[in-house]
Amino acid sequence: MHLQINEVAGNKVVAIEGRLDTTTYADLEKTLTNLFDEGCHNMILDCSAMDYVSSSGLRVFLMILKKIKSVGGSLVLCGLQPAIYNVFEISGFLSIFSIRDSLDQALNK
Amino acid sequence: MLTKTIAITNEMSQLDVVANALELLADEWNLMMEETMKLNLVIEEVVTNIINYGYHDHEAHTINIRLSLDGNLFTMQIIDDAIEFNPLLQAKPDINLSLEDRKIGGLGIHFMRTIMDHLEYSHEDGKNILTLSKKLAGA
Repeated sequence: MHLQINEVAGNKVVAIEGRLDTTTYADLEKTLTNLFDEGCHNMILDCSAMDYVSSSGLRVFLMILKKIKSVGGSLVLCGLQPAIYNVFEISGFLSIFSIRDSLDQALNK
Repeated sequence: MLTKTIAITNEMSQLDVVANALELLADEWNLMMEETMKLNLVIEEVVTNIINYGYHDHEAHTINIRLSLDGNLFTMQIIDDAIEFNPLLQAKPDINLSLEDRKIGGLGIHFMRTIMDHLEYSHEDGKNILTLSKKLAGA
């Protein structure tokens, strides 16, 4: 997995590329927690190049959403591939996460 | 019928071994990536629970994962010598809970029930035997 943090139109965008699994979730957890602790309470997670998610990865999404909601911030996920979208559906995550088709749409939230 | 057995020890790092083995197998058996990811979600949850909650000693234990594909019927059997635990008797998590009421984790049994078609548990000779099967669309 590779993570890239960009600033786009005043928004922090974290692009997740590759496999978010048992061996890589801790990197994402650390990166997002650090951003949050530094005061970034509005984040966009670009998942368009994320082709695999494990349950440990799903827990990271839930963890950061809880943190961000607790301070009234906003978290938007975008570009989920169909298989990942399906896993979110199975997990009941579609109703609790803000999900957009593309980064453009996420920026125009 | 195609079969494959993966033997791992009770360490979290071994989940990687399982995921890699499943991927190789998916290639060999022509499983679709989406199916493979879902099957791995189930295996990961089951094995994580066994490793985290199943042992009260600090000894190394072996967990056997037997995978088979018979036509389009995929079966995984997870055999361990952890404490007796029947996951099928656990309460279903409520996936309609609001964010505030959700616990991080606890999706394992839900995944098993949602992703797999048939679940079976038995305890024999001091071993937990969990057998999960699913009819695959793309196999």
